[in-house]
Amino acid sequence: MNSNKILILNGPGLADLSNCNEIGHDNLTLDIVQEKCSETCKILGLEMDFRQKDDEAELLRVLIDDIDSFDAFIINPVGHSHSSSINQDMYSSAINKISGQNKPVIEVHIENIFRQGKKNHKPLQALGSSVGFVSGLGMYSYVLAINAVNKQLNNN
Amino acid sequence: MNIYVINGPNINLLGTREPEIYGKETLESISKKCIEIASKDGHDVTFMQSNYEGEIVDWIQNAITKKVDAIVINAAAYTHTSIAIHDALKSYSGYKVELHISNPHLRETFRHISYISSAVDTIVAGLGTDGYSHVIELLVRFPVLQNKAK
Repeated sequence: MNSNKILILNGPGLADLSNCNEIGHDNLTLDIVQEKCSETCKILGLEMDFRQKDDEAELLRVLIDDIDSFDAFIINPVGHSHSSSINQDMYSSAINKISGQNKPVIEVHIENIFRQGKKNHKPLQALGSSVGFVSGLGMYSYVLAINAVNKQLNNN
Repeated sequence: MNIYVINGPNINLLGTREPEIYGKETLESISKKCIEIASKDGHDVTFMQSNYEGEIVDWIQNAITKKVDAIVINAAAYTHTSIAIHDALKSYSGYKVELHISNPHLRETFRHISYISSAVDTIVAGLGTDGYSHVIELLVRFPVLQNKAK
């Protein structure tokens, strides 16, 4: 049996996590997050592709072009799923398409985006879709999301 | 490690209440699974459910007195209305997780505001009833989270 492939997609600015004061790691970098994800996927027998894009259009392009190549998606859109109404529409339609194919999709954030001072961070809007949401567990947000996708893939 | 899993109004109806949204699993079966996961490593999980706001506030205060390490709270509809639960959670210094079975942000706009989110460390939503066991597993498996909890 082929192993399931998941895409972990990180949005603009996430290459530098030095402003993130979150639990789980004092000097968190995206490399450490990637390593943790790769370790978690390995244990579960999942194939993983981990990417980060600073350009929002490029990120959405990856998402739209590669929908058929992956079985599940974990997305950290930072605050950019709401940076413009066009982005919001493109995110919604991509998420709706993934969800319509009955593939698991989970939105993750390293920090709790509802804490004060994070006004620009709003959850993805994709009405009628089924999207998981994990925020504020540091790099463990990704670990929880990977475990959850794996469970969903096994249930399907 | 001691964990309280506090559930709000209508969660006692799980399994029969709008199963297309909330699934077919009952609260009893969820709680059994979580207790099993935690007890393997010697941790304690206590499940509670109430339809009354004040009782939920009492349980959070009880967690403060008893120095419970973590609270996982699914305040259900009170999420969107209760400043009293927000205030109680603010006074509790252990690790706090807000949990929802569905993703409130993809539902009616009256569910988009949460009075709980700004008072907790972590929010987990939209993972179905499996969300409970995913959260418990993470809390008991990663010591780094326990260290944060007092």
